[in-house]
Amino acid sequence: MSDTTVKMRDIAKDLLDKGTVDYIIGWEKGRFSNQSPPAFITSAAHVGRLIWDEYCLAGTAKYLLDDKFPTGKIGIFARGCDARAINRLIQDGQINRENIYIVGICCSGMKDPATGNTAEKCQYCTHPNPIVNDILLGDPVPETNKPERFKAIEELERLSPDEKYEYWSKQFEKCIRCYACRNVCPACNCRECFVDQYRVGWQGKQNNEDENRLFGLTRVYHIADRCIECGECARACPMGLPLMELNRKLIKDINKLFGPYEASMDTETTPPLAKYNLEDIEEFM
Amino acid sequence: MSQCKCENPLVPSVVTVFKIVEETPDIKTFHISTKDGKKPFTPMPGQLGMFSLLHVGEGMFSVTAQGENHLEFAIKKCGMLTDALHEIKPGQMMGVRGPYGNGFPIELCKGKDMLFIGGGIGLAPVRSLIKYCFENRDDFGKIDIIYGARSMNDLCFKEDLFENWPKERDTNVHVTVDTGDENCPCHIGFVPAFLEEINPDPTGKIVVLCGPPIMIKFCLESLTKMGFSDEQVITTLEMRMKCGIGKCGRCNIGSKYVCLDGPVFTMAELKLLPNEF
Amino acid sequence: MKTIAKSRINEVLDILAKESKVLVPMKVNGVSKYTPWGSEGRIALEEVNTLLPPKDTLFPQTEKMYSYKMANQEITELNIHDDSAPQIIFGVRPCDMQSIKCMDDVFLTKSFVDDFYKNKREKLTTICIGCSRVAPTCFCDSMGVDPGRHEAADVQMYDLGNSYGIEAQTEAGQALLNKLQGLIQEQAGELTAVSCTLKVDTSGISDKLAKMFEHPIWKEVSRKCIGCGTCTYLCPTCYCFDMEIKNNGNEGYRFRCWDSCMFSEYSRMAGGHNPRPSKNERIRNRFLHKLEFFNERYGKNLCVGCGRCLSKCPVNVDITLFIDKIKEVAVDEPV
Repeated sequence: MSDTTVKMRDIAKDLLDKGTVDYIIGWEKGRFSNQSPPAFITSAAHVGRLIWDEYCLAGTAKYLLDDKFPTGKIGIFARGCDARAINRLIQDGQINRENIYIVGICCSGMKDPATGNTAEKCQYCTHPNPIVNDILLGDPVPETNKPERFKAIEELERLSPDEKYEYWSKQFEKCIRCYACRNVCPACNCRECFVDQYRVGWQGKQNNEDENRLFGLTRVYHIADRCIECGECARACPMGLPLMELNRKLIKDINKLFGPYEASMDTETTPPLAKYNLEDIEEFM
Repeated sequence: MSQCKCENPLVPSVVTVFKIVEETPDIKTFHISTKDGKKPFTPMPGQLGMFSLLHVGEGMFSVTAQGENHLEFAIKKCGMLTDALHEIKPGQMMGVRGPYGNGFPIELCKGKDMLFIGGGIGLAPVRSLIKYCFENRDDFGKIDIIYGARSMNDLCFKEDLFENWPKERDTNVHVTVDTGDENCPCHIGFVPAFLEEINPDPTGKIVVLCGPPIMIKFCLESLTKMGFSDEQVITTLEMRMKCGIGKCGRCNIGSKYVCLDGPVFTMAELKLLPNEF
Repeated sequence: MKTIAKSRINEVLDILAKESKVLVPMKVNGVSKYTPWGSEGRIALEEVNTLLPPKDTLFPQTEKMYSYKMANQEITELNIHDDSAPQIIFGVRPCDMQSIKCMDDVFLTKSFVDDFYKNKREKLTTICIGCSRVAPTCFCDSMGVDPGRHEAADVQMYDLGNSYGIEAQTEAGQALLNKLQGLIQEQAGELTAVSCTLKVDTSGISDKLAKMFEHPIWKEVSRKCIGCGTCTYLCPTCYCFDMEIKNNGNEGYRFRCWDSCMFSEYSRMAGGHNPRPSKNERIRNRFLHKLEFFNERYGKNLCVGCGRCLSKCPVNVDITLFIDKIKEVAVDEPV
């Protein structure tokens, strides 16, 4: 990994020295060796902070929303998941491709800081190579479709409705409504979330199973066909809710109902729920 | 009906709105008293009450005036709660709790000439002190009141401005509007400029200032230019308040809670606080 | 000293639970938190600390305040809600015990007493267990807390390996020990002092921060924050709350609930003005509150060094690294 670190720092120095970018978003070490949180490098003198190791778990793309109208360009290091996240933000009309300079990094997976094993989100990663970039670091990593990522969903589908309800009740009882899942998600990019629309009152502020479930399930429906399966939501959740099971259930259903679909592989293909074909399944009219 | 005893500072008492005065198209004054026809509490000038429509929400508003048996508060229509308040009719029961806030520093003002400057709804909190001064007229010197609003239609408390207050001893009322036509009976112009025209003498004066942030900013500049010191100028702040008792953490500026240590501050005190309002 | 064998803890809890709700660290669905003894879950006293702090005991995440009924323009009923009952919290760590002291300052002092908190606090008995080991993220002793004990607890227990040392520190604590006579033995016990591996130098930090309100460091520190409420909700001392209504037609209730100053609309006023419009101002407010404003107002740090935010922040915003940074930078020099 250290070879990539050197390349990262060289590229960042070059981009900042030449003024190609005003600042670049990457990762740096935290206090502990199993922490490599996001870093914002604003000058060539600081590129020594950048690091590439097996703990670079956090997504970088969402920070582009903090600077939608930059004066110069924003540099960003992007793994496979980050690149799809960038496409997501472009397609949702939130950022301009011209404002960013993407340094792609082919990623062979990160580790879970608590266990040292491969992080769950990386176990099921289908696109570790960044599909959009201005320059690529490292050699492409083999990609597979990983149908096993729906295995947990298939097991859940076999439960009775009561059992499913019990299972999710136990999970939503734990939710503390910190909204970390929403805030890390690249598909959650509304300027005003439905949760914050107090006048309308979609969502109450009480913490109980009903309200927690309302929030969790509504969010999943809102992102359904735009989820890029980066797994950040489940990683960020401090209570360990298995949020990707919900997202993948909808993705599985969408694949079945509207044909195989992967979100954000480009910025042109319209997501299935945002368009209507005459051949679309409809059993209720 | 179970009337709650309400020593719990977060639980309101029940009051009835018996009179509603339409001051301007978007400002109404509500007169309230308890079921036994009494005041729910006796505030000092500048103190606030948390008024609630139980099924809608609570809001912190200054008590603009009080009688022997009632309180008055003026509300501008600008959000969910205030919109709902503007729809109610006399007879409506509401919740109220208080009094909150530090109130105006009466002792500091005694024996001094008073200059009150208000803009728009900002006159509402200042009015409580103006009325106190008139009720205790001998304790205060000359009184000048400068008040401005967007237009003639937007002037609040017209009865006080044009009938009651000009009649008081040693008192001048100066009214201005931002825009008006040739039939306008009062001065036309923004409050800060009007203030400079009037050019009050700073000696022995206390200024009480309240209005939209931009008006406060420019008035402060003018007052400093005219020689007023920071200790002579008092203002009352507005922050989003929820509990009203300095506990929920929402209205803090630095280590001070606006609902408890304020909302009245002198300019000298404000300058010591972090610049966050 | 007086001791209780660890193997008999279940009996201790059973006895105590006869007259009060007893809250014990338990693992429920993978999350360790203070849970009523007798409910489903696995007891988790051997963990360094719970994930969820004990503040829920005195200051629930959602708390009903009063219910009302209306008919036309009339308010026909207004009933204050009080479900306070005797509670014992068993196994509080010294850092969390210090957080209870901070909460007491907030809710019980300065002009007004919060009755909802007071009713629960008066009926709470605290049993603190000193730490015999630390997590890498613990830094309580840098924040003025002794990891071995806390003098404000009603009962202080010490981890001696196979048993707990136990001593009463208040009358309420003694009354509790009297109920456990059959299980208490006299034993020689050696207390091993424990100390945090993570150290932070907080000397002078409060005064220095008071001069740094406009410093550019806030932008740098706040950039990676994602604005969620994880740190505030896991923090044992965060006490910001909101008050809202649940209304159904003509009746409903008012409740209060935890809120987070990290949320973007937290300080937004009617009319749209927001004195803390970006992450910059909000992170600044949070750190200053923990390390400076609270000191000014109540004379103690609001951070107790429990380390929960260090381990759970999705992007590792780290108050200890922040304190280190503050010690380094000059008050008026750009970063």
